[in-house]
Amino acid sequence: MKNGLLIFSGAFATLALSWAGVVLTANNQLGSLTQYKDPVDDALYPAPLTGLANQGRLVYQDLGCVSCHTQQVRRAGFGSDIERKWGKHQSVARDYIQEMTVLIGSSRFGPDLRNVGSRIPDADYFYKLLYNPQTKFAGAPLAHGMPAYPFLFETRPVGSVQSSHKAIKTTADGKEIVPTARAQALVAYLLSLKDSYEYPEAKPFVATEKKEGGH
Amino acid sequence: MNSPAHSSSQPAVARDRAEQQEIDASAKWPVLVFFGSALLWLIIGGALQLAASIQLHTPAFLADCEWFTHGRIAPAAQNALVYGWGMNAGFAFALWLMARLSAAALRSAGWLMVAAVFWNLGVFLGLAGILGGYSTSYELLEMPSFASLLLLGSYLMIGVWAVTTFSVRNTEKVYASQWYILGAAFWFPWLFLVARLMLSTSPVNGVVQSIVNVWYVNGLLNLWFVPLALAAAYYFLPKILGKPIYDYYVAVIGFWWFAICSACSAGSRLIGGPVPAWVATLGSAASMLVIAAVVIIGVNLLGTLCGNFAKAQKSTTLRFIVLSIVGFMLAAALNFALSVRSFAEMAQFTFIPELRDWLLLYACFSTAMFGAAYFFLPRVTGKVWRAPVLISTHYAATALGVLALTVGLFVAGWKQGHQLNLSDVNFATITNEITPWLTYRSVALMLLSIGHLAFLINFVWIACPCCSPCTTAATIKNPPEMEAHQA
Repeated sequence: MKNGLLIFSGAFATLALSWAGVVLTANNQLGSLTQYKDPVDDALYPAPLTGLANQGRLVYQDLGCVSCHTQQVRRAGFGSDIERKWGKHQSVARDYIQEMTVLIGSSRFGPDLRNVGSRIPDADYFYKLLYNPQTKFAGAPLAHGMPAYPFLFETRPVGSVQSSHKAIKTTADGKEIVPTARAQALVAYLLSLKDSYEYPEAKPFVATEKKEGGH
Repeated sequence: MNSPAHSSSQPAVARDRAEQQEIDASAKWPVLVFFGSALLWLIIGGALQLAASIQLHTPAFLADCEWFTHGRIAPAAQNALVYGWGMNAGFAFALWLMARLSAAALRSAGWLMVAAVFWNLGVFLGLAGILGGYSTSYELLEMPSFASLLLLGSYLMIGVWAVTTFSVRNTEKVYASQWYILGAAFWFPWLFLVARLMLSTSPVNGVVQSIVNVWYVNGLLNLWFVPLALAAAYYFLPKILGKPIYDYYVAVIGFWWFAICSACSAGSRLIGGPVPAWVATLGSAASMLVIAAVVIIGVNLLGTLCGNFAKAQKSTTLRFIVLSIVGFMLAAALNFALSVRSFAEMAQFTFIPELRDWLLLYACFSTAMFGAAYFFLPRVTGKVWRAPVLISTHYAATALGVLALTVGLFVAGWKQGHQLNLSDVNFATITNEITPWLTYRSVALMLLSIGHLAFLINFVWIACPCCSPCTTAATIKNPPEMEAHQA
């Protein structure tokens, strides 16, 4: 090759091909995907996040939870996602259309969180987990490889003010540990993570046998 | 063919060498500024990476400090290594090599240094943004938007000079290394701009975001870092061994095949994900087809090396280049495996894809830049390397570190993947099982850091004007590795 222009146009065409072929085609197919209207109860799925949960998404993003947690359930028979009860059905594109930032993740150093809100519908559990994952539950720590997030909590003396009903525990010297607004938002977000609705496209494909001569 | 091995005919040697020295000298300051900042980022990024790695087996490490929580430190390390070390080193190498192969002096050193300042400012602000909690959470695009603008602006200033140098070239033929550099120079701004626009400025809907993200990550690694590593291999092998590239005529097929297939292979990172099946299938097919290009490039490079292995081992540059070729092949093999569905089912969310990306960025690209730097730094500064023992330390640490990390991450990922797919094995068991391998990885990273420090000391000696006096002998004398082909 002698010609600089040839190299340039070739390089241009190469990336144009992959951009148009992969990104634009996918956008064409999925970009206008809308909520699904259930024929029985007439409700629209998926529902948008509530205000507090949406703030919690930002906390999830800023703490980089996506480094160790995925949010995608693979289909039955491909991995053990369904057997591990990470979801009742596989995740499909429509599950994510309400999300400002899609955080499907690529590492499972920690468990998948796509349906953690329906798996563990318990705010108190998450506060304890975030404050100290080494907290013992039924003789074993809540989580092994997870770091603690003590900065999401404040320690304050009881006595001077009324004790908070949100306090997760009281220390020996009369102080209580209270989740900050960010911790509350994050937990609201985690609790909101549940793909309860099974869209037609998420149902496993079952080949129907052709009946011979049956009309 | 304009192979570097034959760039100078005997009568014109003296004149050519004077010209070459002039060209090398024109690149001196931009190369030193870019490479110097690259090395600083390598040390910083290496330290962050080590800290993030320690946190995986000792979760309490630095956990109390919000700025250094694992979810922030891990992407910060990755960004420091990619944009701080990788791209700065790539700029230094590509600008110098482009000037040499185009037989044209590098112009506008002043502009390049202004661009370097803004680039590094962008990286610094971006990292501060990630550590301070403004991460976008998109892989390798975590930096906040303001940092991206700085990066894109300064990249355009740098890329323009690489292209300008090429367009005023005084040579007739265009050599393989130049194709790769030109391609990379052009691909990055497009990938980066499109990804930022489609993710941050006007975000696309739903999982299209994930597709854009993998398209960017895959493109950045395969269409920027790998091409520069290959440019180095195509240049230094014939240059130092003094023989042309074996079967050079197929190199052009290798180049286009590699570019087209790896550009389309992004979807293989989303196998089994919530995207239309064709995305993953197209990606897998392209990832498998890349192998043909890897074979062609392998024939070129290993064919040249064949029979000259002992000679190559005498040159520091070639020892690193050989390591880089091995890294390239390993990454390609792993990428092939990861695009096979049954292997992806086991390996896709484990440490194995991380290993693949690390092999591309470190074992393939970074080692090539180390090798290149051992060649171009003495030439642009007109000095010799001060401490050979530090060079051997660097090489030994790199070779051992790469081997140790490859084995460690692969075993950790293998165990993790198999146990994740057994639904009756709980998470605590998996974590405990792979913890020793993660500890082992931290040790390997420390080993690599020792190599980086040794390299840094040597760099300071050769780059600092006050450190070692510039002797005439050092300027004129050819390094031993050059004598072979001059003779």
